[in-house]
Amino acid sequence: MDDIIVKSITRIIIPFVQLYGIFIILHGHVSPGGGFSGGALFGTSLILYTLIFGVDKAQKKFSHRVSEIAESGGILIYLSIGVIGIFTAGYFLSNKAAGFPLGEAGSLLSGGMIPLLMIGVGIKVASTMVTLFHTLIMEERL
Amino acid sequence: MIEQLPILNLLVLLSTALVIPLFKKRTFNMTLWFGFFTLFFVFISSIVLTYHVYVHGAFYYHLGGHAPFLGIELLIDGFATFFTTFVLGLLILIYSYSAGDATEGISEKEYGRYYILLFILLFAMLGIIYTNDLFNIYVFMEILSITTCSIISIKRKKENYTSAFRYVMLNEVGSLSFLFGVALIYMITGFTNIGLVADALPDVWALYPANIILAVGFMVIGIGIKAAIFPFHVWLPDAHASAPSSSSAILSGIVIKVYALIFVKMLFRLYGVDLLTELNIPIILTVTASVGMVLGSMFAMAQKDIKRMLGYSSVAQMGYIVLGISLFSYLGLRAAFFHITSHALLKSALFLSVGAIIYKQKERRINHYDGIGKLMPLSMGVFTIAALGMIGIPITSGFISKYNLGLAALDANQTILIGVLVFSGLLNAMYYLPIIIQAFLKEPKTPVYMIKLEKIPLTMMLPIAILGLAILTLGIYPNLVMNLIDLAVESLGF
Repeated sequence: MDDIIVKSITRIIIPFVQLYGIFIILHGHVSPGGGFSGGALFGTSLILYTLIFGVDKAQKKFSHRVSEIAESGGILIYLSIGVIGIFTAGYFLSNKAAGFPLGEAGSLLSGGMIPLLMIGVGIKVASTMVTLFHTLIMEERL
Repeated sequence: MIEQLPILNLLVLLSTALVIPLFKKRTFNMTLWFGFFTLFFVFISSIVLTYHVYVHGAFYYHLGGHAPFLGIELLIDGFATFFTTFVLGLLILIYSYSAGDATEGISEKEYGRYYILLFILLFAMLGIIYTNDLFNIYVFMEILSITTCSIISIKRKKENYTSAFRYVMLNEVGSLSFLFGVALIYMITGFTNIGLVADALPDVWALYPANIILAVGFMVIGIGIKAAIFPFHVWLPDAHASAPSSSSAILSGIVIKVYALIFVKMLFRLYGVDLLTELNIPIILTVTASVGMVLGSMFAMAQKDIKRMLGYSSVAQMGYIVLGISLFSYLGLRAAFFHITSHALLKSALFLSVGAIIYKQKERRINHYDGIGKLMPLSMGVFTIAALGMIGIPITSGFISKYNLGLAALDANQTILIGVLVFSGLLNAMYYLPIIIQAFLKEPKTPVYMIKLEKIPLTMMLPIAILGLAILTLGIYPNLVMNLIDLAVESLGF
C-alpha cells in the first residue's frame, strides 16, 4: 500500500498496540484478558505491519525462523514452569505449594506462576498468528 | 517418583514435538535418533508403570495438586497402563519402519513436520488413555483429530485434500456432539470428573432423565463417528487409504482403537451397566456391530485398491470390538480387549507389508499382484500370516480373539451372534484368500530372473518380521497378555 497517510499513521499506532498487548498479557491474572487475548493483540500489530509494508519487509523484521523458535519456546516456557512444581511440590503445575510467591491480591506482582505462564502463552499466540498470516500470503504467491 | 511418570511421559512427548522444528539445520538422522530415544524412554517408563500398577494397584494423579472436582485428574490403572504400553510398543515398530519409508509421497522438506505430527498424535493418545476428566478427553480428542487431519493431507495431492476435508468435517461433528454430551452432563451434575459424575448420576437419573438420555445419545454417536463404528464409517476408507503407509498403520491400527477405548471408558466408568441396560444401549450396539461386521466385509470385497480394501476391513473389525463391548459382560469385554490388541497387530502388519510392496513395486491395484509372493517373500509372507489372522485361522492371534468372542456370545445366550461371527469370518476369507493365492500360486508378469529380489531397507524389514512373529506368538501363548487384560477389565468394575 503506497499511501503516505496510512504509512505514517501505522508507524505511530503500532508501538501503542504492542504496548497494550503486553499490558493485557501481564495483567492476565488481575483483570480480564491474559495470554491469549494479549498475544492476539500483539500478533495483530505485526499483521498490520505486513498489510501496510508488504510481506518481504515484514519477513525481515520477524522471519519465519524467529517465529518458529518463538512458537516452540512459548510452550517450552510453560512446560518448564510447570515442571518446577514436580520437583518442589510433587505435582505438575503446582502454584503456591511449589513456592511461587502469591503476593497481595489485586496487585501486579501476585498470582504466583500465572503471570509467567501467561508470558509463554502470549509469545506462542502472537507468533502463531503472524506465521499463519504469512503462510497464507506466501501460498498465494506460489 | 513413579507417581510422576505418567505426566513425564506426556511432557516428554510434547516437548519432543516442540524441539524437532529447532533441529532444522541439523541432519534428518539426528531427528530420527532423538525421536527414537524419546519413544524408548516413554516405553520403558510405561512398562515400569504397568509393573507398579500390577503390584501396588491403581493410583490417581492430580495436576497442580487441585482437588478432583476443581482440576484435572489422571487415573493410572490396569486399563491405562496396559494400553499405553501396547500402543507405545507398536509405535516403536511403526516408527522404525517409517524411518525407511518416510519417502512414500512426502516431500523431503516435510519429513520433520511429519515427525512433529506423529509425536503430538502420540501425546494426545496417551493423554486420552490416562485422563479421568470428560472435558480433558474432549481437548485431547480435538488435538488428535487435527493432527490426524494434517497427517492425512501431508502428501499434498488432490485426493488427500478431499479425504482430509471429509475427515475433518465428519470428525468435527463427532467432537462437537461429544462436547454437547459433556455439557448436558455438567448441567445436571456440576462435575466433569468421571468418578464424581458416576457417583452423582444415580441420584439425578430420576430428576433429569431427558438430559441423560440425550447425553448418552450424543456421546455414543460422537465417539461412534470417531471410532468408525458401522453407520458412521464413511470417512475411514478414503482417509486411511490415502495417507502414507506408516501412518495408515498408525491410524487404522492404533488411533481408532484409542477411540474404542474412550468408548469403553465412557460406557462403563461414566454411565455404568444398569443405566445403559435401561436405555437399551446393549441391543442397539449389538445390532450395529453385527451389521457392520457383515457389510464392512462386503464393501471390502468390492474394492480394487488394496489399501482401500484394508480400510473397509477395519470397519468390519471395529464391529467385532463393539460386539464384544456390547455384551456388557466380563467375558465380552475381555474378548473385545484382546481383539483390540490382536487387530492392532494384524492391521499394522498388513499395512506395513503392503507399504513395503508399494514402496518396491509401486502397485496398489489388487489384480496386479500376480506372483508377488515370489518377488517379495518376506512382506507377502507376513501379509499372509496377518490375513489368515483376520480370517481367524488357528495359531494366529485372530483365532484366539474370535474364539473368545464366541465364548462370550454363548455365555450371554446369544447363539445368533455365533452365526454372524462365522458368516463374517467366511466373508473375510473371500477377499483375503484370493490375494494370497494370486500372490503365491500365479506366475509374475515379468519373469523372476529378470527382477532383483526383495531389497528393502533393514529398518523396514525388521518391524514387519517382528509383527509377524508377534501375531504367531500371541496366537500360541495368548496368556502373555491375558493377565494384563484381565487386570484391565477388572479395573473397569467387572
